[in-house]
Amino acid sequence: MRYPLLLLLNSPIIAIALLNAVTKYKLGQLDKTKFTKQLISWLGLLAVLLVALPIYNYSHNDSLFQSDKLSILDIVQTTAIVYLVFIVNTLRLKVEKSEQRLRDLHQELSIRLSDK
Amino acid sequence: MSSLKVCIVIPAYNEERVIRDTIQGIQKALNKSNYRYEIVVVNDGSSDNTSTEARRAGATVIDHILNSGAGGATATGLLYAKKNAFDILVTMDADGQHVPTDAIAGIDTLANSNVDLLIGSRLIDSTGMSKIKVIGNLGLSGITYLLFGTKVMDSQSGLRIFSKRAIDGLRWRTSGFEFCSEMLWRAKQQHIVVAEYPIKAVYSEYSMQKGQNNWNGINIVKSLIRRRIVETFE
Repeated sequence: MRYPLLLLLNSPIIAIALLNAVTKYKLGQLDKTKFTKQLISWLGLLAVLLVALPIYNYSHNDSLFQSDKLSILDIVQTTAIVYLVFIVNTLRLKVEKSEQRLRDLHQELSIRLSDK
Repeated sequence: MSSLKVCIVIPAYNEERVIRDTIQGIQKALNKSNYRYEIVVVNDGSSDNTSTEARRAGATVIDHILNSGAGGATATGLLYAKKNAFDILVTMDADGQHVPTDAIAGIDTLANSNVDLLIGSRLIDSTGMSKIKVIGNLGLSGITYLLFGTKVMDSQSGLRIFSKRAIDGLRWRTSGFEFCSEMLWRAKQQHIVVAEYPIKAVYSEYSMQKGQNNWNGINIVKSLIRRRIVETFE
């Protein structure tokens, strides 16, 4: 029950992130390489969440990875981390875009003012 | 007279002591050549009389409202060249360390080749450059190669010659001196042909004081690593 809950909580965030990436790519705001990287990152994360239980079962046999089963707190923490990654990624792209626009504005203004 | 229009871009920050001599030296050399040219000084928010001195020497001056760094000032020069349909762009340092005849030799080479970005390398013959500067510059070129896979001996040289294709296509994001390495990366991404040719660098007491030191190199490396990591996840 806990592993499906982990997936249930995280998959909407990943779905939104994937939708954002596809929309930006279709609108020409992301080039193919960047889009592929975004796709691989988020699908990779989804794949890890999908196989979280088999990974746990497999690694449980190794003393180095031996730990208790997933608690509700672990689920909340993992979801929070995934959500934070989503927020940080979105904000970083926005900041970079704003920086670029500010730089372009500064250059354009400097050239135009120098023409006068 | 050649039909090629050449734009000489000089990013300058607080260079009132030398900017006039630098511009006049370039004018003297270019007047003997067949190129039509315009010298553009991008005054990067100087607090001294760089702008006035450059105008008096006969250059076109673009005054940055805010100090943006060498990368920002060079990018403004590139935009100016693009807007005014120049065929070739040359970037040179304001401190007079570049010999104008080297710039003309570079323009000749670029005009008669398929190269889009020609870097004036001070390290092919590093006579006159201090050992510590040679090591620092080679180190930065090595790091540029490791991060971006671009094989250039003098990745930090300020004397660069751009073809029309490079003027129209090359853009970079960093605004400090790290733009020199980033520019090579962008060129590689866009399949822009890059080459080097040997130049002399003239180091006066003034240019030694103003130039980058190896400590600044650490900031450049940090910024390049950050840029590489960030774009890995974009």
